[in-house]
Amino acid sequence: MTCEDIKPLFADYWSGTLSPEDRARVEQHLEICADCRAESKRLEALWRNLALLPADEPDSALRERFYETLSAYRDGAATGAKPRAAVWQMLSRIAAGIALVTMGAGIGYGLRSNQASANEVTQLRGEVNNMRQLVTLSLLQQQSASERLRGVSWAVRAEPSDTEVLDALLAHVNHDPNVNVRLAAVDALRPFASNRVTRDAVMQALAGQTEPIVQVALIDLLVDLKEKDATEELQRVAVDHLADSGVRERARWALEKLQ
Amino acid sequence: MAQVSAGELAKLAVLFERHHRSLFRYFVSLNRDRELSEDLVQDVFFRILRYRASYDPSKAFAAWMYQIARRANMDRGRERRGEVVGIEEFTTRHGDPASAEAGPEEHAAMGQNLELLDRALALLPKDKREILILSRFQELKYEDIAAILDCEVGTVKVRVYRAMRALEQIYFALEKEKAS
Repeated sequence: MTCEDIKPLFADYWSGTLSPEDRARVEQHLEICADCRAESKRLEALWRNLALLPADEPDSALRERFYETLSAYRDGAATGAKPRAAVWQMLSRIAAGIALVTMGAGIGYGLRSNQASANEVTQLRGEVNNMRQLVTLSLLQQQSASERLRGVSWAVRAEPSDTEVLDALLAHVNHDPNVNVRLAAVDALRPFASNRVTRDAVMQALAGQTEPIVQVALIDLLVDLKEKDATEELQRVAVDHLADSGVRERARWALEKLQ
Repeated sequence: MAQVSAGELAKLAVLFERHHRSLFRYFVSLNRDRELSEDLVQDVFFRILRYRASYDPSKAFAAWMYQIARRANMDRGRERRGEVVGIEEFTTRHGDPASAEAGPEEHAAMGQNLELLDRALALLPKDKREILILSRFQELKYEDIAAILDCEVGTVKVRVYRAMRALEQIYFALEKEKAS
């Protein structure tokens, strides 16, 4: 065996993980080749010391953040993007409060027409929607990524006609510094998909997006929406040499699906 | 993401407990940036959740996880293009590196050797550093490293050897510099 054949076996030799045959071959070579013997000895000392280098330990905040995000996902998973139970309780208390006040007003004013009470129900529904929008938009503005993820899971409950929530989601798809929030925001766009504005915005987002994982999510969304108008943009992505190879492949797959 | 079941989230927590420390070490060794590395660890686990369907259970999980980790690191690297952290900016991170059975003098000498070795590792080109991290710190099999780096097993062995040679050269250069 030549020196060049032996050297790739060094690491296993030092670690004692060579087969008995290979070990014998290495030992035979080291006996007759002083250069390899000296080199193996020097490198082995470094190899052993590498294992002694202290490992960096993450801060406990990493675990906390992970479980926070996980719980945000869990809330989303339990009933299809349902926000945290505590927040819901708060919302239902507010809604019940509004209902009580409205009812009290109704009793106070005495007889009321059916039309008037229907108006009140509509008004009440509007109040709850406003509250939902308020909570969504406020969570989406938070510094912490897991709070913003929670905001995204609230957004799924917004009215499909709520353009303010839609705009906020699109802004997060395009600009959120955290990839997980961007991804969740892409998924949260689905309820808004009947809206032409949403579909156009998804195509625009694909054109502007540089994060491969988000690009793939946007392509998947366009396929799910059976968006035929996306063909041109998908063709561009499929041959874009600056795009990730996985993204190009996904774009080709999407073009086949949409045909 | 809405289709993630509670059972899958529980599994993700188990995976997190099992692997987050070694992933953190991988990212810190590559990037020398603790904050970034913590973000990347978090990122990897939620990518695992998203791409869980693409995992082939007949293959080693660690190999698949490190493929995702590499990808996450490259994506982040693109975002940070141009930001290079100099070695002098990197704060040394040792507590007590020497082994317990060494006497006080050996103890000190060993500590210095390890500090020098750590500096040499930090100065190693990224691809060489990565292969040593995977083979020595993460103790992955050559087959798994080959899958992670998308190359042949024989190539991995040659690259580990070359990385060790390069490490040795830097190490001795640093030692010389210190002595002079």
